[in-house]
Amino acid sequence: MMTNPVLELRDITKSFGALTATNNLSLTVMPGEIHALIGPNGAGKTTLIQQIYGALKPDSGQVLLNGRDLTGLSVPARIRAGIGRSFQISNVLMDFTVLQNGIIAEHARLGQSFRFLQPAFSNPQLIDGAIAILDRVGLSSRADTMVSDLAHGERRMLELALAMAASPSLLLLDEPMAGAGPDDGQRMTEIIDGLRGDVAILLIEHDMDAVFRLADRLTVLVEGSVIAAGTVDEISTNQAVKTAYLGDED
Amino acid sequence: MTLTLILEQTFNGLQAGVTLFLVAAGLTLILGIMDFVFLAHGAQVMIGAYAAAAITQATGNFFVGLGLAIPLTFASGYLLELLIIRHLYRRDHMEQVLATFGLILFFNEAIRIGFGPAAIYSDLPPSLSGFVEILPDTPYPAFRLGVIGVGLIIALGIHLFVSKTRVGAMVRAGANNPEMTAALGVNIKILFRLIFATGACLAGVAGMMLGPLTAVQSGMGEPLLILSLVVIIIGGIGSVRGAFVAAIIIGLVDTLGRVFLPSILRLFVEQAAADGAGPALASMLIYILMAVVLIFRPTGLFPAKG
Amino acid sequence: MTGLLKFFGLVHAGISDNKFLWLLIAGFAVFPIVTQLVDLPFWNDVAMRIMLLGMAAMGLNLVLGYGGMVSFGHAAFIGIGAYCVGIGQYYGLMNGWAHILLSVAVCASLGLVIGYLALRTTGIYFIMITLAFAQMLFFLFVSLEQFGGDDGMSIDRAEFLLIDLYEPLRLYFLIWVMLAIVALLLMFIVRSRFGVTLRAIKSNESRVEAMGLVPLHFKITGYVISAVICGLAGSLFASWQEYVSPDIMHWTRSGELMIIIILGGLGTLAGPLLGAIVFLLLEEFLPLMLGALVPAYAENWMVLFGPLLIMVVLFGRGGLVGLIDSKILPHLGLGKTAVK
Repeated sequence: MMTNPVLELRDITKSFGALTATNNLSLTVMPGEIHALIGPNGAGKTTLIQQIYGALKPDSGQVLLNGRDLTGLSVPARIRAGIGRSFQISNVLMDFTVLQNGIIAEHARLGQSFRFLQPAFSNPQLIDGAIAILDRVGLSSRADTMVSDLAHGERRMLELALAMAASPSLLLLDEPMAGAGPDDGQRMTEIIDGLRGDVAILLIEHDMDAVFRLADRLTVLVEGSVIAAGTVDEISTNQAVKTAYLGDED
Repeated sequence: MTLTLILEQTFNGLQAGVTLFLVAAGLTLILGIMDFVFLAHGAQVMIGAYAAAAITQATGNFFVGLGLAIPLTFASGYLLELLIIRHLYRRDHMEQVLATFGLILFFNEAIRIGFGPAAIYSDLPPSLSGFVEILPDTPYPAFRLGVIGVGLIIALGIHLFVSKTRVGAMVRAGANNPEMTAALGVNIKILFRLIFATGACLAGVAGMMLGPLTAVQSGMGEPLLILSLVVIIIGGIGSVRGAFVAAIIIGLVDTLGRVFLPSILRLFVEQAAADGAGPALASMLIYILMAVVLIFRPTGLFPAKG
Repeated sequence: MTGLLKFFGLVHAGISDNKFLWLLIAGFAVFPIVTQLVDLPFWNDVAMRIMLLGMAAMGLNLVLGYGGMVSFGHAAFIGIGAYCVGIGQYYGLMNGWAHILLSVAVCASLGLVIGYLALRTTGIYFIMITLAFAQMLFFLFVSLEQFGGDDGMSIDRAEFLLIDLYEPLRLYFLIWVMLAIVALLLMFIVRSRFGVTLRAIKSNESRVEAMGLVPLHFKITGYVISAVICGLAGSLFASWQEYVSPDIMHWTRSGELMIIIILGGLGTLAGPLLGAIVFLLLEEFLPLMLGALVPAYAENWMVLFGPLLIMVVLFGRGGLVGLIDSKILPHLGLGKTAVK
């Protein structure tokens, strides 16, 4: 393939004391693809996401986004460089309405957050931008609801909308279906599916049905190392993966 | 700047340090384990000092005063926790600041009503008012030496208790993770109450030992409270070991700084400037120290492992 | 459970909070007429103190209520503002506007430095480091013999161009105008993009970070603004009191500011001013009430005030603004505050 990867990890290593959470790991995510990261609990999936996101610093190795070396950049700087992230535990602004969440994300995206006079929540342009952000996940009908009053599944949607707000080139999704019921999971799968092609996605998910439905490529992580990588078909027939991971599924 | 003066002031600094430790030891656990901002800890010092002074005056015997005041301060801490404090654990820090600030106002005013606004000065019994020669021709007040001794013994006791006993292990576990302690089947409510009462009692003992050295009066606890907060922050919230190290450092730095800093400054700047800046710098010294520690180690010197 | 913690900035920072604020400020404008009619000019003095403490509390509230930063050292900025007047006069700077400019400049720079250092920490550590910086400044002024040390220094009412503050009510209305300006500014700031970002940081710092913003920048900016407002209040305080001593920045005053805010309503515009009114009226009336019951103990009114504070924490929900909102307005048929 001739296209350049959106995300390229080169030889990332991260240890906590004696525990090696990420072991000399390399990985690429291509434009527009959904790349799932799977592995048993404790395989180091979230630790890896944290290093791409900038909340953890790798001991060695490089994180490249669109060819640009992100190593050493802070979280906000990486966001501005084009990363969007949803968290394992819903990370939304609980004390605000859905629309207000969108508005804050919108002026953050526009780099207008240091303005002191005009009211933010009644600004028509910001409201339009926020509605557009919410429309992506079908939440604009719930615009005036307090986030604390939203159902769990709706919060996951809002989380995804906020992660997508700045139209990132790479989306890190850390268990977007976590805690969602079957209906919500189905909707979330459809929404993520709809993002395919628009944005490169690195997805961590325990719901294997969703993973097999969504992923263009899979990387299997065990104890911080990649044990297999490939398409869904390749991985589902891979013997090493079966024993290491799929075999000991509960 | 004679050797005698340095030695004497070092001992004074140690005495201030161990007293500070007694106040800070309980408070660091209250802040660390219970995550509770308790500003009225200084009032416990005052209650201890007043209890000892009043009973000593009534009975004419210093030791009876001490002996009765110790259980009294324990009881007062126990009651305070039972009546008010336990309702505040789940509140946020700001509300805790506010409520315990209210407690300070109440205790200080209650003491003023009960004992009048004037300070009480208590005399030492003859057996403790003598001097000990710490070096040939260097007499030092026996009582202050006794304070250092008692403080060190209590510090050792707390250390052994926290590091060697089962309850101490719970305290350490609690400092790290209250949920875990609860999961281990420890009755966290009783544990909290006992730690609180013990902390109050230790602060009270500090007050009793300070009584004969300073004026016993309403509001006497607050300067100590502020100092012990500095100690706790420097040592690391929830760390008894940190509180001890920091208390000794603060005691020494504060005492020696006030005495020697102006003369040290005189070596570098003109006398007039040194005399002006010396006391100012000396009184700011410990706060500067705390700010510096926090800037480089935002969770103190000995952060409790979390 | 923690009703006070609920984000009242949002629930209440709506139309009625604004209206309520301006109602109070309008009340202060006509108050001197009332005192004139009933011939009680002493109360003008109380009203000036209320406005000054209210202004400082409004400044602190930006950090405390809207930004969620529990600063326990804002009295230091009041003190610095006041000392800017005293020290300015000591060196022959008599112009009041110059004093105000000086206070604003000094408090802004000091706020920047302290904010930058203190905001590296969070939680209890932040409370304590702000306290430590305030204590540092307190002891600095205690030991500066040149400026009166412990005893403080007396101050002439500053000369404001075309305004002679020794004329009756001139100082009153100078303070009133400043209060109105501060209120207007805060009203804008709180609802602005900066303001809502600050409130968002209080609500969930990591989400704000995930939006590509650096929370520290907003927090420091908020901290500096609040320091400047406290400094302004302090410099007017100096003219009102005609005297300044380190007492003005004693740590208990930082506690008082917090009490005023929580009493009135955390994270509301009207709350700090309302809290200041109630706080200072309690200070005036509790001794009278106690004196009527037990004459010997009139001076010991704190013995009632302390438990009152504990009650406010245990049973108060959203302070007085919250109470008015949920209990009083509905009875008047005005309905609850709209979320705006």
